[in-house]
Amino acid sequence: MAGEKGGKEAAAGSRFLALLKRNRALLIFFLFILVMPLWAENVYKTISLDFVFIMRLVGVYTIAAVGLNLLMGYAGQVSLGQGAFFGIGAYTSALLTLKAGFPVWVGIALAIAVSALFGILVAPVLRLKGHYLAMATLGLAIIVFVFLREMTWLTEGNFGLSGIPSLNLPFTSITGFDLPFIKDKAQRPELYLQFYLIWIIVFAALILCSNLVRSRVGRSMRALHQSEVAAEAMGVNVSAQKIKVFVLSAALGGLAGGIYANLQGYIDPNMFTITLSISVLTMVVIGGMESIWGAVAGAAVITFLPKMVEAIPKWVGDAPKWLERYSNYEGIVFGLILVLTMIFMPSGITKGLSDLVRLRRSPFVNPFRRKAVE
Amino acid sequence: MSRESRPDGGANVALLEAMSLTKTFGGLAAVKDVSFKVESGSIKAIIGPNGAGKTTLYDLLTGIYLPDEGSVVFQGRDIVGLATHEITALGIARTFQTIRLFPEMTVIENVMVGLHHHTRAGFVKSAFRAPSAMREEAWMREESLRILDIAGLEMQADNLAGSLPFGQQRLLEVARALATKPRILLLDEPASGLNAYETSELGEIIYRLRDMGVTVILVEHDMGLVMRISHEVLVLDYGEIIAEGTPDEIKGDPRVIEAYLGSELD
Ligand SMILES: Nc1ncnc2c1ncn2[C@@H]1O[C@H](COP(=O)(O)OP(=O)(O)OP(=O)(O)O)[C@@H](O)[C@H]1O
Ligand SMILES: [Mg+2]
Repeated sequence: MAGEKGGKEAAAGSRFLALLKRNRALLIFFLFILVMPLWAENVYKTISLDFVFIMRLVGVYTIAAVGLNLLMGYAGQVSLGQGAFFGIGAYTSALLTLKAGFPVWVGIALAIAVSALFGILVAPVLRLKGHYLAMATLGLAIIVFVFLREMTWLTEGNFGLSGIPSLNLPFTSITGFDLPFIKDKAQRPELYLQFYLIWIIVFAALILCSNLVRSRVGRSMRALHQSEVAAEAMGVNVSAQKIKVFVLSAALGGLAGGIYANLQGYIDPNMFTITLSISVLTMVVIGGMESIWGAVAGAAVITFLPKMVEAIPKWVGDAPKWLERYSNYEGIVFGLILVLTMIFMPSGITKGLSDLVRLRRSPFVNPFRRKAVE
Repeated sequence: MSRESRPDGGANVALLEAMSLTKTFGGLAAVKDVSFKVESGSIKAIIGPNGAGKTTLYDLLTGIYLPDEGSVVFQGRDIVGLATHEITALGIARTFQTIRLFPEMTVIENVMVGLHHHTRAGFVKSAFRAPSAMREEAWMREESLRILDIAGLEMQADNLAGSLPFGQQRLLEVARALATKPRILLLDEPASGLNAYETSELGEIIYRLRDMGVTVILVEHDMGLVMRISHEVLVLDYGEIIAEGTPDEIKGDPRVIEAYLGSELD
């Protein structure tokens, strides 16, 4: 009957509206990214912050951070080795596209595969727990760095690899590509294309990961985080599940690294030291453990910070000289951010802000208030 | 009630049989040469003073520890050496003496983890929300609500497990174990910390489990509960069986009285 059919359509319509409403934060963010190039040029001219340029990097780090968050935030396996998988991904794609002449997208696909494979290879470290696991993965990051530096016949060591083919869409060449809103042809179409390409991948990764954590698999990850013995007793194959999350996390690190290499055009081993692992870890912590979208916030904060510091001398004429050498005191900044977040906003920025909006609750924790004794 | 599965003198084949189980921790025999049978549909209690080895025995049955000697036969199959999750999948579930819920997950999510091995969706299907994964998810939710209803926890479904009052946390442990759809359920002091009302509720739930065809082993210090609901009682002391029989036989057994008096004098 017609009425029945109409009712069904209305139901489907309202379900769609409900879906939009549930994902409104995602939608708003999506629109924000979509129109960013429209205002970014003007912002660049006024405050010297190149949003589109920086947001490409934010996208890359988001992928690495969301991978680590699955492993560390959800499954509770602390890893200081995400930089190693990032580096392996970067070198895989760089070598394949530069030396073997593979198309960029094949290079990146194989970067995922090689990092995942390396993840499987080193997965036995997951038998370790807590601090021991953190130490072992830290060791892993150091070993990978040393190999990248010393295997000069392959990686050219500290000279690095330059002229890595640049990130673009498969089967299309950048030249002659036009975006409607770019009026000035002297502007950088390649930059915009990369920006959109990366964020398409980021959105795909984030949506897939947020589906995953709300599924049977995600529940088993959170369960084994909270009690391994109980998760086993409930029928979860804890060690297999840990390995799978670890490999997924490695694959995402590899994906990020692959994109990074083709984005930068130049890589050397010093980009993939333990500082990288720690900065990805910092992204996870400040974005919020057990928060998929927190990865974006964390990556944005950590990536924008140095760029903003760099821009300060352009805002104020007499900025102190030491300010410019960000990399010199980067470690202190990370450390401070980590410590301050852990003390004042232990659940991270995203959760803190959503608490503020939804529950009108201050996102800050008062660490001096005495807790009830348990 | 007239349940045919009630043990009636060895007519049934044992569902679970432990044979000469022994486990020592650095010279101390926590479980020593323990053998017993559990028949399908029965409620068997295991009692004994603190440190008698009851929890260790459960850990041996569920594969958390490997016995030094002996074997465990479940439904005709030797299960020693299997991983805990494999044993759960075969149909042995347990609760923990010290509550081991997933406190940061909601009540219903806790139960849904119990349904883990009854569902299949892996990483790929879950990430892409494949129709089969969505169907499973809906089934898990429905099934979990049904199980929560048995435990009287359906009103708490969306609260965090860690926020429940203690008594309800114990019940949730039972509900979660039940979700694995066990043939046999091992309860480790489920009544400890419960008030009289909650304890009698627990007794009702255990009766209902038996009616659903679940065999129950009950480790418990609450003698009222043990004597009221169990068909058979096994008494452990210093890792060894000192008596086995019906509740009435056990009550009058001088060795049992001595073991309990001895521990109370401490
Ligand atoms: N992992 C372990 N390492 C060393 N000794 C252990 C271990 N687990 C248990 N024990 C010892 O084994 C003995 C039996 O312990 P178990 O926990 O099985 O007793 P129980 O009967 O469950 O006692 P309770 O009624 O207090 O729960 C105790 O002496 C205990 O100290
Ligand atoms: Mg015990």
